[in-house]
Amino acid sequence: MSANDIVLVIVVGTALVFDFTNGFHDTANVVATSISTHAMPPRIAVAYAAVFNFAGAFISLAVAATVAKDVVNGDVITPTVVFAGLVGAIAWNLATWYLGLPSSSSHALIGGVVGAAFAAAGADAVLSDGVLGKVLIPAIVAPVVAFVVGVVAINIVYGVVGRERPGPVNRGFRLGQVVSGGMLALAHGTNDAQKTMGVITLALIANGSISENADVPFWVVISAASAISLGTYFGGWRIIRTMGTRIIKMDAAQGFSAQGAGAAVILSSTHFGFPLSTTQVISGGVMGAGAGKRVSAVRWGVAGNIVVAWLLTLPAAAAIGAATYGFSSLFGDGAVGPVLISLLGIVALALIFTRRVKEPEPLPASG
Amino acid sequence: MVATVVETKDLVETVVASLIAGIGVTAAFSLVIFGVARSADMVRDERPLLATAAGALAVLAGLFVIAAIVFGIVVMTTK
Repeated sequence: MSANDIVLVIVVGTALVFDFTNGFHDTANVVATSISTHAMPPRIAVAYAAVFNFAGAFISLAVAATVAKDVVNGDVITPTVVFAGLVGAIAWNLATWYLGLPSSSSHALIGGVVGAAFAAAGADAVLSDGVLGKVLIPAIVAPVVAFVVGVVAINIVYGVVGRERPGPVNRGFRLGQVVSGGMLALAHGTNDAQKTMGVITLALIANGSISENADVPFWVVISAASAISLGTYFGGWRIIRTMGTRIIKMDAAQGFSAQGAGAAVILSSTHFGFPLSTTQVISGGVMGAGAGKRVSAVRWGVAGNIVVAWLLTLPAAAAIGAATYGFSSLFGDGAVGPVLISLLGIVALALIFTRRVKEPEPLPASG
Repeated sequence: MVATVVETKDLVETVVASLIAGIGVTAAFSLVIFGVARSADMVRDERPLLATAAGALAVLAGLFVIAAIVFGIVVMTTK
């Protein structure tokens, strides 16, 4: 086994851990609406979301292709660059989780890879058109569209059923949420699992294991789908324990509208290969459905947090990715740097979690 | 310059598809609920014609919801 193969194994393992934590973090966003409106019991909602997350990963590969081919120049990328990018993303997610700051796992991942590529091969390594056109602009547009869809949809709903008796209406929309919740989990699986697939594929291309024009290998699809759905499942138990403090109160019609808005925007974006922050899109839908009923019902602080996440996450993760690549390079091109950083990372994680369990739990980072 | 970098056509199609799917499906589902609720009320009031009409509206809207979801998934899986 060559040094590059060792790094590749580390990259695949790290990417799957990242995918697991992505599902773990995002369970709340996917199931909160169904749980808060009592459309589904929490345990059922979590298991249901995990199944649809898994299925969603098989629906499309457009986002994986974007991450693998449209963000950085594959010709100058090595497995170590991908590894450094992943470390940048994970480190930023952990730092924001520890400090209770909002973050986007998706933006962190892309920022980390871009930063590491820049450090390794300069500006030519970054496909700026792809980053701007496929990542940055859709990242701004998508939550706004979800907000608009949420506002318009809930106003139509209230216009149509507003004079009906609330009992049958609520029962109907709760039933509808079984479908809309499933679609939202499916959408989450399609977009978020594919980012990991894209990163692993990028590493495989960089290592020469597959050609630049090759499709995403099936074992990569299965692995990423399993990692995110397991993360969703295990993250759900944690959410169930802490429920009641973070769940937004809304009626079933708002829940249905918010989930529909989120699912529609994420699935449409996935179809065209736009890697999004799914949490920001879901938040946009929830805020839209909330604002459609009463503007003051919306937690506008969340909107402010999203803006902060937009501004900070990409450059911060890029800086960490670049620094990680620089540190790894001190030990040459072989596997010593990544192995050493992995060991340091495991020690740092153990210290963080040991300290964290003694303190109140902060808000999770978002996807 | 931005217009040349951004894949404008894809982005516009994404926005349009999101608006149609998100608003259309939600509106259609609210018609399902409206139709079912009104149909039940009309049956109770012994007005069979109106009950049938409301029921038909619910069925048609329900079919639209199912068709829209199936269409969306088929489009995504066949690209």
